[in-house]
Amino acid sequence: MQSALQQRQAPDQPVIGSTPVLLFHQVSKWYGPVIGLNQVTLELRPGIMGLVGPNGAGKSTLMKLATGQLKPDIGSVQVHGINAWSADSRRFVGYCPDVDAFFEEMSGREFVTAMARLCGFRRSEAEERAQAVLQRVGMADRADRRIGGYSKGMRQRIKLAQALVHDPELFILDEPLSGIDPIGRQEMIALLHSLARQGKTLLVSSHELDALEKLTDHVAVMTHGRIAAVGTLSKIRAMLDDRPLSILIATSQPRRLAQALLSMSNVVGIEFIRDDSLIVRAIQAHRFFSKLNTLVLEEDFDIWHLETIDGSAQAILGYVLGKK
Amino acid sequence: MSETAKPAPPRPAFDQQSQSFFAEDGASRTAQVQALRLLHYRPWRGECRPAFYSVWPVARVSLRMMFRRKLFWGLYALALIIFLMFFFGQYLLAWAESQSASATVNVGLVRTNPSKLIRLLRDALKLNGSADTYRNFFRWQGSMVMIVLALAGALIVGNDFRHRSLPFYLSKPIRRWHYVAGKCLAVAVFVNLMTTLPALVLFVQYGLLDDWGYFVGDGTAISLGFVRLVLPINSLCLGIVGYGVLLTVCLSLFLVATASWLRRTVPLIMAWTTLFFFLRMVARALVDGLHYDPRWRLLDLWNCLSLLGNRLLGIPAAQIRPQPQPEIWEAAATLAALCVVCLLYLNHRIRGVEVVH
Repeated sequence: MQSALQQRQAPDQPVIGSTPVLLFHQVSKWYGPVIGLNQVTLELRPGIMGLVGPNGAGKSTLMKLATGQLKPDIGSVQVHGINAWSADSRRFVGYCPDVDAFFEEMSGREFVTAMARLCGFRRSEAEERAQAVLQRVGMADRADRRIGGYSKGMRQRIKLAQALVHDPELFILDEPLSGIDPIGRQEMIALLHSLARQGKTLLVSSHELDALEKLTDHVAVMTHGRIAAVGTLSKIRAMLDDRPLSILIATSQPRRLAQALLSMSNVVGIEFIRDDSLIVRAIQAHRFFSKLNTLVLEEDFDIWHLETIDGSAQAILGYVLGKK
Repeated sequence: MSETAKPAPPRPAFDQQSQSFFAEDGASRTAQVQALRLLHYRPWRGECRPAFYSVWPVARVSLRMMFRRKLFWGLYALALIIFLMFFFGQYLLAWAESQSASATVNVGLVRTNPSKLIRLLRDALKLNGSADTYRNFFRWQGSMVMIVLALAGALIVGNDFRHRSLPFYLSKPIRRWHYVAGKCLAVAVFVNLMTTLPALVLFVQYGLLDDWGYFVGDGTAISLGFVRLVLPINSLCLGIVGYGVLLTVCLSLFLVATASWLRRTVPLIMAWTTLFFFLRMVARALVDGLHYDPRWRLLDLWNCLSLLGNRLLGIPAAQIRPQPQPEIWEAAATLAALCVVCLLYLNHRIRGVEVVH
């Protein structure tokens, strides 16, 4: 009952308990003497998962392994239980690479139709599917223009269309939101959410953490070829015990509140920033919030603003990667 | 003079219910909903065709890009002029011969039949439907093919590596060899459109102008152990097809291998110029100038191709110019070895997509 409720509340979050659509098991990949991926184990289930990390962290390697473009040196990568290196597994995968220049002489429609035909569809079926996906990504009215004349946002949509064209279960999207204007980005995010609601699995890599946060709360943080953390942002943040959570509180009695808070064992520091606001640094966030709740009710504090200021993806990524 | 701004196309709206984009006008909306239903409410029950069928779409994409480059149209026009020159040359001489069958003319003090003069002219111009006609045609068209391929290599293969658009292919349910086969097929279609097909048209044309017996000729003898078959077809026709196959296999492998290695147009042109022009000059200087062993001519790949092609057309080795030439099997072995090298390189290269750029 509870899980059903959770699913209804956040339908585009990965569903726990279902069969993994993508499975990395102890995967390592070397490029000569350089290690690209180091003993990575990861499971992806229907929903959206963000993939974040600095350049050279291994995100692209992980995506290439998932789409069968690379073969792992150690371990196995499986899509729906099929070895990702085999061509059959790619029927389940739609890949949107981070490439800007491609097939400049072709029109968007021709490109998407050609990609559908590569998936084994006959011409008529390929054309129907191309039309449907172009509609879906909002490019139907501009599909007959040459790709060479497209803006970056239009190229992103066309790339997404070719990934959608065979209706795959798993989407690997490399920077799908870059270069798209704010309105287009909202539309694209809505589209990706709709895919997740259809039960698709999406792995989305992005450097634009704000946009990624709007897309999903579930991330995998990569660094030095390893998965440093996987889970919801709040869970990852909660696990960072050595990094006190910063909470901005606006109240009419900041000094009295500070005095009361300092008596709590979870609070490690307080900073006054304005006459009516203070930043509290606390460890064991859940326990702190529980105590704060009790305190506010018992002491009748008048609090009109409460915000976690380093719970964003940006801040969490910084903490996980050991950077400011 | 005032300029009027072109109105921007209406922005498609996002429909929350169907989670899709729609154009604002109602008329197209129905069609769009229909299109969406095709994908999302009609599950695919058919079987996707095997990956082997993806070879042709890969080739088609390449050919489409190639034929859309306006820069190449001049070269195609030049190739067409060469073909038309042969086509109408044969036609004109045959027509003139038939028109002057019974007439006589004075050439100086000699009275002669003009058809004999025309026949002499046909033989001198090699527009007589003989193996020499097709040899010349392949030589001229082959040069055009080489130029176009040198320019188009980056477009059809190199850009996939350079612009990293290879993942579009490789993320689809095809194997790497299907990709290579598709690219080779694109080159093969182009080579045959430029050489074999027009040569066969010339063959048919000459047969129609000359005599139906031309199509059969002396037949083509094939020995299979103790059995000797004689096919009722002019061996020239099979020679033309053979020459086409030879060019197809060699040029497609050379091009795909060099283009996946060099990627950009200028280095590719330089490489092809070296392979087919400078090495030719070096070989000529060594064999004709310094009288080295004729095997040095094996450096000249175009000569190797011509040597084999001429042999397929039935031209005796002694008639092949320049002389001396290496043995036929030596030229064949050189080309075969190069093809194997190209295949090995391609095998390495398509796995080398793994290399970090």
